[in-house]
Amino acid sequence: MKPNPNLDELLSSFMDGELSPRQRTEVQRMAAHDPAVARRLRQLQNCRTLFCSLPPAEAPGDLLEQIKHTLERKTLLQEHPVSSRRTAGVVHLVFRKLVAAAAMIALLATLGVVVYQVVAPVPGSGPLVATAPNPLPPAVEDLGGAAPALAMVDAGFSGRLELRTAAFGSTDAFVRREIQTCGLTNLSEAGTADDQRVYQVAGTRNSVNRLIASLGGVWEDFDSAALSVGSPDGRATPVTIESVTPEQIVAVVDRSSTEASIETAATYAVMNRVMRNAPGGDLPPITNDSGGLWAMDAIPMPKLTGPERPIDATHTPVQGSAQASLTIVLLRTTR
Amino acid sequence: MYLRAANINIDDSVLVQQSQMGDTTAMERLILKYQNRIYNVILKMCGNPDDAAELVQEAFVKVIESIDKFQGKSSFYTWLFRIAVNLTLNHCQRSSRTAARSLDAEETEPDGTTSLMLRDCLSDERAVDPAAVAQSRELCELARKCLLKLEEPQRAVVVLRDIEGMDYAQIAEVLNIELGTVRSRLSRARGNLREILEAMLK
Repeated sequence: MKPNPNLDELLSSFMDGELSPRQRTEVQRMAAHDPAVARRLRQLQNCRTLFCSLPPAEAPGDLLEQIKHTLERKTLLQEHPVSSRRTAGVVHLVFRKLVAAAAMIALLATLGVVVYQVVAPVPGSGPLVATAPNPLPPAVEDLGGAAPALAMVDAGFSGRLELRTAAFGSTDAFVRREIQTCGLTNLSEAGTADDQRVYQVAGTRNSVNRLIASLGGVWEDFDSAALSVGSPDGRATPVTIESVTPEQIVAVVDRSSTEASIETAATYAVMNRVMRNAPGGDLPPITNDSGGLWAMDAIPMPKLTGPERPIDATHTPVQGSAQASLTIVLLRTTR
Repeated sequence: MYLRAANINIDDSVLVQQSQMGDTTAMERLILKYQNRIYNVILKMCGNPDDAAELVQEAFVKVIESIDKFQGKSSFYTWLFRIAVNLTLNHCQRSSRTAARSLDAEETEPDGTTSLMLRDCLSDERAVDPAAVAQSRELCELARKCLLKLEEPQRAVVVLRDIEGMDYAQIAEVLNIELGTVRSRLSRARGNLREILEAMLK
């Protein structure tokens, strides 16, 4: 019998029980009355039996374990996905570049410091430059006019002491002598001999203080004493202490820096002004934070290194080591 | 044999629910329940035990990974077979040329006993005894080779119907085709199988 596709489809569905009851009855009727349909149906049924009878295969016994293993492997791979591993690699490379750049910058900075230390001029080691750091008091300029500029690199103190006295002659001689005794450099000496004398001295702070201490012996001969303190470069506003005492001058000169000297001078200026204005002229005690008293006694006295010590008159302090300059103006007064 | 598919949905929905809640034991029960069926279908479709083992493993891994997305619109049974059959069809398409060449090379003439039994299967005089067919290893091997000579879509419907025992509706759902397509494709596949077997006897 030649295969009929429509009949085969009908018979196939009949075998599989996929026909409606009416169609099923119709196929049964056809097979009963048509031997060719019955043979074709038997051919298809036998062929189907061949494939339906194939023994079923069983899955591998370790399938479940294999599935678990595969899942574990996938989970591990997902914990470290390729993209994150690539990202980690990129981050690592960027970090290495940054570290290299930082190391290069640090190396350049170190080299720069080394080169600067080699090339840059060291303060004090270069040639001394003659400057005029200490603007001379107007009296000096007016009187002398030709006062040489102080060639001081580190003039830590600059002041002008104005002394008025009726005993002009003896005092003048005393001052001149003490300047020489203390080893100070008398840079300038000007003024009329009758009523005014200007000494511009320079030296160390100690030598200036020795001179002031020496002047303390004749301090009672002075009718008035005023100390003006400024900075060598003239930037700071000068402070003037009226009725200054030798102890106060020593204390001001003895400070370690220009700013400290000016600060101390300002304190004494206020104190002296208050003392002058106070009834009876007594200095009121000042209480500090710790309850202690500040008084004039607290001001350190200059350490005299022995004025009797023989001084080499030819000794000239090195200009570079001079840290103090003092202009002494001696004025005659009439009583 | 055709009753296999009838009882498969028992407790499936419960096990699926438990699996979706993270119960690995429920998923293991589902795997143990279906592993032989899935493996049998895949093996009949691809013809290679190693490939079948790998494909069944891949199918169950995919099921486990996708169980949260399973919404129950179809039965778990058809969903599982759909995944497995699709993986197998893709695999067969990739290796179709190689498989065809190996089949041609392995083609052998059936011996006398096998030829006799095969003639009985193709005759229309009397019904074939299924037990006798199953006991003949050579005849079974011949039938498996015939199956592999079918095109993949026709092979799939024959395997799902005659070996797995699905009804037409389930086959349509697994293969995502119309019911009428299942009917006609299955009819043509059976006709082609008969022609292939007849050609072996000539």
